[in-house]
Amino acid sequence: MMLKGRLITVGRAIAFVLLALILCGIVFQLAGYSAKEMFQSIADGAFLNPGAWKNSLRWALPLFITACGVAISFRCGFFNVGAQGQFYLGAIGATFVVDFMAGWPAFVVIPLAFLAGILGGAIWALWPALLRVRSGTDEVITTLMGNFIAGLVLIYVCSGILKDPSGTGQVMASRPVSPAFRISTNSGLSPTIIGIVIVVGVAMWLLVNRTAFGVLSSLAGRNPIMVVWQGAKLSRLGIAGFVLGGALAGLAGTIEVLGPNGRLVSGFLPAHGFTAILIALVASLSITGTAIVSLFFGGLAAASLYLPVLAGLPSAAIDIINAAIALFITARTVPGLARLAARRRASGST
Amino acid sequence: MDEFIIATLRYGTPLVYVTLAGVLAQRAGIWNLGLEGLMIVGCCASVLGLVQTGSLLFGLGLAVVLCVLGSILLWFVVEKLRANPIIAGLGLTGLGLGGTDLAVQAIYGSQASVTAPEGLPRLGAIFGPAVGPYGVLSILVVLMPFVVIGLWILLRRTRFGLQLAAAGEHPFAARSVGVSPSRMRLVALSLGGVLCALGGAELALGSLQIFAYGMTAGRGFMGFSAVIFGGGHPIGSSFAALFFSVVGAIGIRAQLMFGDRVPHDLLLALPYVATVAGVWISGRLRGGARAAAVSGELRDY
Repeated sequence: MMLKGRLITVGRAIAFVLLALILCGIVFQLAGYSAKEMFQSIADGAFLNPGAWKNSLRWALPLFITACGVAISFRCGFFNVGAQGQFYLGAIGATFVVDFMAGWPAFVVIPLAFLAGILGGAIWALWPALLRVRSGTDEVITTLMGNFIAGLVLIYVCSGILKDPSGTGQVMASRPVSPAFRISTNSGLSPTIIGIVIVVGVAMWLLVNRTAFGVLSSLAGRNPIMVVWQGAKLSRLGIAGFVLGGALAGLAGTIEVLGPNGRLVSGFLPAHGFTAILIALVASLSITGTAIVSLFFGGLAAASLYLPVLAGLPSAAIDIINAAIALFITARTVPGLARLAARRRASGST
Repeated sequence: MDEFIIATLRYGTPLVYVTLAGVLAQRAGIWNLGLEGLMIVGCCASVLGLVQTGSLLFGLGLAVVLCVLGSILLWFVVEKLRANPIIAGLGLTGLGLGGTDLAVQAIYGSQASVTAPEGLPRLGAIFGPAVGPYGVLSILVVLMPFVVIGLWILLRRTRFGLQLAAAGEHPFAARSVGVSPSRMRLVALSLGGVLCALGGAELALGSLQIFAYGMTAGRGFMGFSAVIFGGGHPIGSSFAALFFSVVGAIGIRAQLMFGDRVPHDLLLALPYVATVAGVWISGRLRGGARAAAVSGELRDY
């Protein structure tokens, strides 16, 4: 029964992703592009070209970390849609440490940078969590507004305190991270990053599937009243899930700055948080699923860079695919099917 | 003072239109987070329609049609496919942002913005110099209070308004007297689509006469927050939207007055901070915004 339920979940996710892709094909045709050519180029850029999978993996790794955090806060029943802001604040925190401790040895600076990044993300998740738990302020709005504020803070620090004086006026960015503090080259694949991702993945899997917190949090998401009756503190659970989500987004931001990006650029990776939310939802909030789905969306992220440069097609195509998947992915039924199931239940032939 | 009022109205008029669209959806029991996407479609369609055909009416008509179609898509996904309205709304927003980007790139190549040859009719051109400095405001600014009052009458003083509230708050009751909650939601979202188109057109053609990618900059989400702040009441929510605009206008004034002494990017964040504060206050007053729709899930029993 468990297995059957899981197969239905997977099949449903695949069906709605396909439905979203069909809608995108129609949009591309209407906009005057050939849908066939578009999908072909996306598949080339993501997986088929030689070496493309390496690029996809580079994008999938940070996305997986953020998506794990999103999955955990959603499991607690809290709509933390502020992954983008938490990701930015993490990146800013890490850059501050790297920038102001430039003379220090790497084994001191790198752990501190990670700590600052995780703290930055956690703080940016803490205030919406507190507002939600203490005074019932809707967390969807506060985290969305938090994203906009974080984006402006990022522009502010990139054009002010952390500005690279030798940079051109076009793109505002921080000074490049010194090579001693980098944890990977621009390719974004290094034993350090892969190691961090594996540790995070295993830890989160254990947390969700093998601890009291995991069981209670998924119950809290589905049936909060029951959890309260069983004597668990719903508010504490929510704050913990929220802050953990923010911390993981901050960790992903740190990895981007110390790893493939190598510097803080204003307005970098604007779709990261939204994609991470999608990954968590497509995977129906399971950690194993998140790992698999991250690879797919990592491929799409790689393709969004490949499209304009090599195929001469607009990268907005990837944004549209992501958005269409978001539109459909939480759908629970197909018209007609629900009525059919209800009728079967009513007639008693289960 | 005149300048301050003009700045507030310029910032606030698009926001009020979008807020009213949110009020309609909220009354019907749907958390509409697709407002941002519908609004940018309104901006883009009105400018592109105007530039391509040279007719302002065609631009406005195109914006209305596309926004209503977008609303119907959201209705179908939320009502018929039973998707979560919050995530589906965010998806619609993404579709609007990506779709407008794709449309501009398909027509103009990699161009950052599209400039329109003319804007909406200005007060100065209609009433002559009698209106003084307010002549720079567009006709939709004057129309705004009438739309607010009209919507208040529609929602609070007509049979339709009552049926809509019933469909949102107690679908079972609505159904028991022969009102289809599903159809009421379709009507509410479609009307909201028209208002979003007007809001987008005012933003793009009211004062700037330009379309730029992502030019709504969270105004749709702010409008949604104004609905929560104003408790879903048309007039209260409009005042909430105007409050956010006053804060935005103060930010613009401060920028002019203090120049470089106050960081410009942080002043831009003021309306967002005001939005958070507004929703926080309304949460304190009403004991949680979620009272109307638990977790944003559609109520249908």
